[in-house]
Amino acid sequence: MTSLATEQTMSQITGRSVKLQRSIVIGFALLAALLVLGTILVPGFISPRNARSILLLAAFLGLASLGQTLCAMVGALDLSIPYVIGGANILFPSLLVTGMPAWLAVIVVVLLGAAIGLANGFLSFRLQGQALIMSLGVGFAFVGAVQLYTSIGSDYGGTVFAPVPDWLRNFAAFNGKTFGLPLPPVVLVWLLVTLVTIWALYNTWFGRSIYAVGGSRTAAARLGISETKVWTSIHGISGAMSALTGVLLLGFSGGGFVGVGDPYLFTTVAAVVIGGTSLLGGAGGYGATVLGVLVLTVLTSLLVGLGLSFAAQQAIVGLLIVPMVAVYARTAHIRNQI
Amino acid sequence: MSQRFGFPALDRSLAVPLVLFAVLLVAAAVLSPRLFTATGMGGAIIVAAPLILTTLALTPIVMAGRGSVDLSVGPLMGFVNVTLIGWLSASGYTSPLAVICWVVAVGALYQLLQALIIIYVRVAPIIVTLSSFLVLSGLNLMVMSRPGGVAPDWMMTWGAGTTILSPVLIIVLAALALWAFMRRTTFYSHLRMTGADERMAYTSGVKVNTVRICAHLLGGVFVGLAALSYTALISSGDPTQGSSYTLQAVTALVLGGANLAGGRGGALGSTLGALNMFLISYLLSAFSFGSVTGFVTQMAFGLILVASLLVNVFMTARRTAF
Repeated sequence: MTSLATEQTMSQITGRSVKLQRSIVIGFALLAALLVLGTILVPGFISPRNARSILLLAAFLGLASLGQTLCAMVGALDLSIPYVIGGANILFPSLLVTGMPAWLAVIVVVLLGAAIGLANGFLSFRLQGQALIMSLGVGFAFVGAVQLYTSIGSDYGGTVFAPVPDWLRNFAAFNGKTFGLPLPPVVLVWLLVTLVTIWALYNTWFGRSIYAVGGSRTAAARLGISETKVWTSIHGISGAMSALTGVLLLGFSGGGFVGVGDPYLFTTVAAVVIGGTSLLGGAGGYGATVLGVLVLTVLTSLLVGLGLSFAAQQAIVGLLIVPMVAVYARTAHIRNQI
Repeated sequence: MSQRFGFPALDRSLAVPLVLFAVLLVAAAVLSPRLFTATGMGGAIIVAAPLILTTLALTPIVMAGRGSVDLSVGPLMGFVNVTLIGWLSASGYTSPLAVICWVVAVGALYQLLQALIIIYVRVAPIIVTLSSFLVLSGLNLMVMSRPGGVAPDWMMTWGAGTTILSPVLIIVLAALALWAFMRRTTFYSHLRMTGADERMAYTSGVKVNTVRICAHLLGGVFVGLAALSYTALISSGDPTQGSSYTLQAVTALVLGGANLAGGRGGALGSTLGALNMFLISYLLSAFSFGSVTGFVTQMAFGLILVASLLVNVFMTARRTAF
């Protein structure tokens, strides 16, 4: 009886990893296909210039999707990401206006983001199925409060004018340079974050705990893993990464704007899903999401190169999600679930 | 248990939205009594109707379970709106019958398509509706690149909102009547069973696929009616604003006590949730916050949402303790 159960679990686990590998193979194939298509259809698609812009945009999306990936791995969705990004994007310059040194302001904003994320995780832990609505509520409250704070004594709501420090501009702008190389440092930061995250997910107690909680809550609890701690901390990480993305986007755009995070509400989810992390938890990883981010960004760049409007791009990305997911993340028929 | 709250016939999950509704009504009566005049009430109905109807559209779909929050209701309402103005009216079909058939048919057919994808492609519903959100938001802008067009002549007076008994109120009442009728069918109990535990429902012989299709069709009809009242509200076509109704409707649904995990929810709760959302923004606009009104409203929505979710958790925890 026990051995049968173990065997079944084992086959489920191998089944999952085969699925994940399949999604990664498909991801690479898609990426290659998109690059080939781009080379054929769009002149100058494979050029250092275009590669740089793709990597830069992918870096922002990738950093913002880190928290979403971790949340998806335990079956949650963090809908506060766009609001924390937007809030950080206007809070940071308004802190600079008060005379706070830039390095301190970065730390304050990122810590505040982490605190918001922790609060979100702590409050939503008991809600499980409705956790995404809690994250939405926390996001609304945060962005509303930040906008109130920044608009005190100012006539402009939603936008903040402050000189962006040169180092931040160089860090995240299109023509930024790393040690003389024509690549914005934010791309290297993303690479570093990716390597650390992938390593940590597979080699640390915390990383394995995330998979354990996502896979089976009961089993995780039996192993002495605190579900509350895992759940709360990944939401904290998500908040911190969103705040960081918001600060970095300021260097990219040059002016604080609260709506800057809005596209990230659904693109982070799309990147996670295209990468192959199941929204139900227990399978996937950040490596898969990085692939999803690259597919999404290259696809967008291709569509822009073809001269399609934003509306058409959105529609095409939307149309592609279902078939992409259907390739590897189909659920079993109900009669096989009993 | 429920008798302690004084309304034994009602679902306990309605306690929070009812109390909130009463508090908000009293606050409105004190702060801004013009709501309770014929014009105030008429205007309120016109403004609140699209949200009430989109929330109603979400209700059966969420109740069917599998975490199927339909993210596409907002853009779908926008799609019906822009195709009504941009295609149907522009081609000369403006009779009330043609318009009503169009809105209901487009809403229902699109939801049927979504249900079939969810059932036969077997992808998680939230992924299907997320992709719908993106596709429809894009399509809306392709049908109509900027707000414009005019609603059919006979609809122009609907949006005035000078009397309580406006056609928009009749649309809302018709939707509620449809729900009341549906509650008396076997479909309703099958819907609740499927949402509560799909495997159990399947093994008990419930045709879960048919239930899911019907839930989406019903939701589609409500989206169509929502688009009708929305068109009456703005008297034109708007490709982008409709999308913002998704998050509002999900918020209203949760404020109304429905469970996003499925199995629990109802038209009364959803209507109350949507009315509460309306009253909150109405009350906040009664204060003179000046240029920051939007921010205060957003923050208040967030805080009320958090608080109402926490109260719901507290009450469920007590229920299981007893």
